[in-house]
Amino acid sequence: MRLKINNIQVGYDDQTIVHDLSIEIPDGKITTIIGANGCGKSTLLKAITRIIPHQAGTVILDGENIQKMNTKVLARELAILPQSPESASGLLVEELVSYGRYPYQKGFGNLSQKDRDMIDWALEATSTAEFRKRPVDALSGGQRQRVWIAMALAQETDIIFLDEPTTYLDMAHQLEVLELLQQLNVKEGRTIVMVLHDLNQAARFSDYIIAMNAGHLIKAGDATEVMTNETLRDVFNIDAVIGEDPRTKKPMCITYNLLKSEERASKKSEVHDMVV
Amino acid sequence: MKYFRKIPLALQLVFMFVVLLIVMFVAISFGAANTTLADVWYAIWHSSDDEKTNLLREIRFPRVLAAVAVGAALAVAGAIMQGVTRNPLADPGLLGLTSGANAALAIGFVLVPNLDYSGAMLACFIGAAIGMAIVYSIGSSSKTGMSPLKLVLAGAAVSMFLQAVADGTGLLFQISKDVSMWTSGGLQGISWSAFVVMPIIIVALISSIIISRQLTILSLNEDVAVGLGQKTFVIKTMMFIIVVLLAGAAVSIVGNLAFIGLMIPHIVRGLVGADYRAIIPMSMIVGGLFMVVVDLIGRTMNAPFETPIVAIVSVLGLPFFLVLVKRGGRFFA
Amino acid sequence: MHKHSSIWPWLTMMLLLLVSMIVIGLSVGYSSLGITQLFSTFIGNGKMSDEFILFSVRLPRVVILLLAGMALAVSGSLLQTLTKNDLADPGIIGINAGAGIGITVVYLFARDHFANFAYALPIVGFLSAIATAFLIYLFSYEKSKGIQPFRLVLVGVGFAAALSGLMIMLISSAERSDVAFISSWLAGNVWGADWPFVWALLPWLVILVPFVLYRANSLNILGLSEHTAIGLGASMNKERILLLVIAVALAAAAVSVTGGIGFVGLMAPHIAKSLVGPKHQRFLPVALLIGAILLLIADVIGRSILTTSTIPVGIVVAIIGAPYFLYLLKKQG
Repeated sequence: MRLKINNIQVGYDDQTIVHDLSIEIPDGKITTIIGANGCGKSTLLKAITRIIPHQAGTVILDGENIQKMNTKVLARELAILPQSPESASGLLVEELVSYGRYPYQKGFGNLSQKDRDMIDWALEATSTAEFRKRPVDALSGGQRQRVWIAMALAQETDIIFLDEPTTYLDMAHQLEVLELLQQLNVKEGRTIVMVLHDLNQAARFSDYIIAMNAGHLIKAGDATEVMTNETLRDVFNIDAVIGEDPRTKKPMCITYNLLKSEERASKKSEVHDMVV
Repeated sequence: MKYFRKIPLALQLVFMFVVLLIVMFVAISFGAANTTLADVWYAIWHSSDDEKTNLLREIRFPRVLAAVAVGAALAVAGAIMQGVTRNPLADPGLLGLTSGANAALAIGFVLVPNLDYSGAMLACFIGAAIGMAIVYSIGSSSKTGMSPLKLVLAGAAVSMFLQAVADGTGLLFQISKDVSMWTSGGLQGISWSAFVVMPIIIVALISSIIISRQLTILSLNEDVAVGLGQKTFVIKTMMFIIVVLLAGAAVSIVGNLAFIGLMIPHIVRGLVGADYRAIIPMSMIVGGLFMVVVDLIGRTMNAPFETPIVAIVSVLGLPFFLVLVKRGGRFFA
Repeated sequence: MHKHSSIWPWLTMMLLLLVSMIVIGLSVGYSSLGITQLFSTFIGNGKMSDEFILFSVRLPRVVILLLAGMALAVSGSLLQTLTKNDLADPGIIGINAGAGIGITVVYLFARDHFANFAYALPIVGFLSAIATAFLIYLFSYEKSKGIQPFRLVLVGVGFAAALSGLMIMLISSAERSDVAFISSWLAGNVWGADWPFVWALLPWLVILVPFVLYRANSLNILGLSEHTAIGLGASMNKERILLLVIAVALAAAAVSVTGGIGFVGLMAPHIAKSLVGPKHQRFLPVALLIGAILLLIADVIGRSILTTSTIPVGIVVAIIGAPYFLYLLKKQG
């Protein structure tokens, strides 16, 4: 395991959002973080990728503490695609993708042949080469997301983090993005870590799922381990019926009810006991 | 516009620079005293004692060069502010810098009654820095960055505050006219002595070109910039210093001028796209060009009286601002 | 809790505060009058000189400030509701500047054509402010979406910046004595502290303020979202334009006499809303009193801080009000 998170605590001001969380990210796998709104999953993602600082604990990449690493060097190891980044108006697709080469450049940033090759490859891999000369904000949501992924690819890192890469996309485009990520994982062996909202998508595409609630780790494991009635009860406060996706044979949540408040309360204290 | 974008950047810059030189040349030849283009050409290469050459060398040359410097400085300051705040409506004049300079200037006149040129310049710097620091710290206080509306409102409030300080000081010590002479936004009576600020402008402009690639990355999204390995705090601090130097220097030469820093970068984006490596150098040229033309209009429209350039810029700038607001931040829709 | 209780305790308290501010306002100044002196002069037993100071100098000034404070408070309340923006204020969104430009032009070029300058001034101010407001309205109106509150504020700020540019131009071309008048007008020095100005200002309030109070209920609905308001059967545009015109009229009338005073229209309704809640029936009367109190306090501060001269009210208000505004802005995040 290249990336290890030890007893990390993250928060803003006096408010702690992620409490004492430890996890290892499996290499060459797709890892997905799931959890309710405000449970700290995006915050965790940002802390691991040093977008925001953490107050306690360490994030270790290849035995080195990332907070002590040179930020450009780190940018050659892991890429991060934030949640629905706004696009600078008028920027061309290939210009945006070329910024992925930033960690490799010095000074004014003239592109080397290697840079150009990587950009071309990233555009090809994400099937965005055909509109490379178009402004980013003239593209559809799905195309735009693929362009941002191309930028992350151009960064030439083994590890890619994505914060809710499917938000604001319709069903078909969501699948398109996830299949692209799966391909990158299978063909190139990239480690993918992402935050997803949709449980069934998480189950279908991930090798490893990290389930969080209220800043605590509830359960981590493969889809069959995490997609259980008990875990979903602790994570989302729902009573879920788990079945099997007839096509992919992965577990899926078929239907669910909200838990009544008294059940929820009892569960909460259990969660608390567990983490304490 | 579309065809222009297909030309390589270097050629675009050379082309616009040549246009700038021609316009400067023509602008130097116009004025209250009649001079021809041939006189201008002669005066560039020869220093002699005849009246025409002297007039050109001592009055017209510094004036037109100062116009270029001020236009370039304000345009680049505006471009950087728009990039860092990711706010299409950012402009040094709208965001409290120039009124900060006014306030500091008024106080400077009180503390040092015979404030000389470099003293006034220093006051302008300090004031611009304070004005900008206030607006900037408010604008960057929220985690997601400030909406254009709020940043503009903060700028308006800070401007009113600092203007109140300037006006109050002016009235109390009966120096309103002195302060308003300085800040009325004109290039009348500019001489070579105003060029003590030039090294600052030049250094700041060169730094802005060097840092322009960082600005593009930062203008995308702050998290993306960090993810790509940028030391955003260092970069933002450098940008801040450059903007304060440019705006402070410009105000010390020309006084209050809103809208130039707003307009020019938007026009330039229409020419060269969204990459600040192209926007910054192009803004310098187009900003300089714009100021020379505006000053020329001011000098000749109602000759022999000067029409203050601030009036011309306001008249041009307001509709521009309105279009930007209407189109949600993009001038070329 | 307090949001639903009776507003009478607050009204009584504000009224008491107002009365004591009036007394302080009457007694403080270059030659101060003690309370007993004040009282005996008031009922006609005072010295001639005290009588002159009280009835010809202090009293009109205090009455003007009282009326102006009320007018600005109501104007600000209306604007905040109509633009659905808690940060709207006649000074910030360009209405003061609109009135100012008209007054400056008339003062500089047509002063001698008016027999009764005092009475003409509020009308001139009103006309140019309403013209400005109309332009602001026009540019923030969109056919498909109607009036955009967000845009209204931005456009207003743009206008304010452009008009102050024009104002600088007018001032720079004016005579030194005229500059002193205009710049002290801009700073809000209550130049019209004389009885004719009281009579010029009073009718505007007597007619418009009761009308606004009478429309309190429809203001409650106008403050809701557009669709909700239409759903509740409010005829949006007619009502809104009428109230907007009233807001401009009140601000312009006040500002014409007192000079450019911002932030009162922002602060008074805010403080009132935080005391008695956001229902117009409740906060408008309280805001009215707070507006008057604020201006009187600012004036007392401005008159007593220096013994040699007076700091204009507008400056004192801006120096208090701008930080308050920025605090609100920051709190909204």
